[in-house]
Amino acid sequence: MIRVNGEPLSWHPGKTVEDVIREKNYRFPLLIVRINGRLVPREDYGKTEIPDGAEVDVIHLMSGG
Amino acid sequence: MMNREVNDITIEIDGKRVTVPEDTAILDAARRAGVYVPSLCSSDLVEPYGACRLCLVEVDDGSRTRLVTSCNFPVRKPLKVSTSSDRVKRNRKTVLEMMLARWPEVPLVKDLAGAEGLTGARYVHPNVDLNPNACVLCGLCVRICEQGIWEKIVNFSGRGVDRSIRMPYDSLQPHCVGCGACAEICPTGAIEMVDDPNRPYDAEMIRKAGMRITREMIKYDEQQCDMRGVGTAHLVEVMDAYDLLPVENYRFGRHEDTLKIESRVFREKYFSPGKPDGCWLGCTMSCAKAIEGYELKTGPYKGRKVLVDGPEYETVAGASNMGIFDPDFVVEYNFYCDTYGLDTISFSTLTAFVMECYKAGILDEEKTEGLKIPFGASDAAMELLHLIAQGRGFGRVAGKGIRYMKKYFVEHFGADPDFLQDIGMEAKGMEYSEYVTKESLAQQGGYGIALKGAQHDEAWLIFMDMVNKQIPTFEDKAEALHYFPMWRTWFGLCGLCKLPWNDIEPPDNAETDEPAKVPEHVKGYCEFFEGMTGEPQTMDSLVRMSEKVYNFQRVFNLRMGFGTRKHDVIPYRSMGPVTVEEYESRKERYDSQLEEQVGLDPRNMSTGEKLAALRKFREGQYEKLLDAVYKRRGWTDNGVPTVEKLSDLGVDFPEVMELVRKHGG
Repeated sequence: MIRVNGEPLSWHPGKTVEDVIREKNYRFPLLIVRINGRLVPREDYGKTEIPDGAEVDVIHLMSGG
Repeated sequence: MMNREVNDITIEIDGKRVTVPEDTAILDAARRAGVYVPSLCSSDLVEPYGACRLCLVEVDDGSRTRLVTSCNFPVRKPLKVSTSSDRVKRNRKTVLEMMLARWPEVPLVKDLAGAEGLTGARYVHPNVDLNPNACVLCGLCVRICEQGIWEKIVNFSGRGVDRSIRMPYDSLQPHCVGCGACAEICPTGAIEMVDDPNRPYDAEMIRKAGMRITREMIKYDEQQCDMRGVGTAHLVEVMDAYDLLPVENYRFGRHEDTLKIESRVFREKYFSPGKPDGCWLGCTMSCAKAIEGYELKTGPYKGRKVLVDGPEYETVAGASNMGIFDPDFVVEYNFYCDTYGLDTISFSTLTAFVMECYKAGILDEEKTEGLKIPFGASDAAMELLHLIAQGRGFGRVAGKGIRYMKKYFVEHFGADPDFLQDIGMEAKGMEYSEYVTKESLAQQGGYGIALKGAQHDEAWLIFMDMVNKQIPTFEDKAEALHYFPMWRTWFGLCGLCKLPWNDIEPPDNAETDEPAKVPEHVKGYCEFFEGMTGEPQTMDSLVRMSEKVYNFQRVFNLRMGFGTRKHDVIPYRSMGPVTVEEYESRKERYDSQLEEQVGLDPRNMSTGEKLAALRKFREGQYEKLLDAVYKRRGWTDNGVPTVEKLSDLGVDFPEVMELVRKHGG
């Protein structure tokens, strides 16, 4: 189990940032992702695996009028 | 964004192996591999052009060896590349000698030639130019003007040895706003900015700050918000994904038919490609779009082909709010709202209210004088729009807005005033803009406390609050409802657009302390102000400018009979579910909130009881939010700026002080 923005989410070995974004349907493009406080560069979402028990922040910035 | 699978390909450059995505230019691959290749006409801001020929390399694809310009040669299969073979060096030297013959004093040319062992040319060019800032015809200025700024102010003129860079007719072009992108990208300093009609204190500071935004727009926009491609309409599918797109008078936040009106549809079938309808010349965001040749189906111009300003997010979301998912309708009602001088937000929100009243039986065909107008009735919505503009029939009533209609329906049709207050989405008499706020308390405050009425442009906090959970306490929310409204007010004070602040993000924004504020862009706005006036600024000083005006505006509201706590009241539809149908549609969410936040066991409660309990809780939360925000802003419990606050801000004019004292300030 991991926590994403404070809410629990199931975990499996090899689960990546991209998997979480897809599962949570986070379609907004301006995201900042941190795993246990550590920043994950956007180009690494597909290859960064999340460890079990991690606190994941997917910070959405603002956009629009 | 591209969905095509892109393969990685490994090539060898001077013996170094590097893996790059298919279609990467060899020059970019070389830079990634740390191999230097000279170039004069390439830039990461414009398409490659192959003009200077300095980036020549020798490519061996297994079947033959040939010379190519590396800036525009795409990698599509494994290659062996040599950047300094004898053949390459010989050709590069010839090119540089020709440059040196024509522009012998340009430092960049001399440096590049010197690196190849050349100190002078063996001949003199007939058009030799001894200016050290001579134009070397690299075409960077032409390309950035056309591709980056979407203008064609500078271009090539003449042929052969007479080729040169010119403005049309050799005169200053009135539609050149002096953005300075051409001067900024010029590698020799041949373009100098000389005309600054506004006489700023430091034009260079303004241009540098503007160029940083231009650079970000050109490089990152397509991967970020795609404002240049589709504008704010990209938010339609985003809001639907987060249950925030208003559907049927804000009853719901998503719909299976949203894909019919998402931004892709407008990009592929409606927008004129490459023709932005920007608010002002030289804007590199150019988020406004144009639709050409649309044939109108209704109204006084029926059958005419017209140009329509491309719909923004709010206009498209206004359609879903009426339960309409027809892109033609979006274009048609957008055109007629523009033509009649009506606001698409007010029209769509008030029509959604009319439709819900129709559904609830408060209205019928007799009361609407013949309009059959349930949710989704696009023909009836268009007819209502024309009636409003003409001041005829039911349009006479609807055109006066939701606040008027609520009173009218109670007085003339015996409607339940409490129900109308719950579903009539207006505050301070202005219709709500197009976001569902039920799950974001901070955004409810953003709408309710906004000085002009229910608009999100003072503060858009839904993601911070509902998705990120960044502002969990009342104090956190109050701080956000202090900073962002003040910051956004500043754009209005200066007549600047806020979209370049947060619809594009610098690449290192994530690493800053407060990414939500986009500190690099705040710094840029400080430089705009300083460059214009000569007065250095900080984030705090800009906010303080706004605070003076904002508080003065609140006092103005007070003087006009608004401006106290009772005027910050919002309809319950923006706080939570009004009807059983709404509650049941998100039953799991609301039940768990009752259990976790209210401490009730929903299993033994009817939906009516649950609705009432949730409502009591949420209304209580909103009151606590008002308390916290008023405190943070230095206002009384009744939402009136205090004498102390106004004195501190220097807004202590006698008439102002007398008024706030009368209201306990």
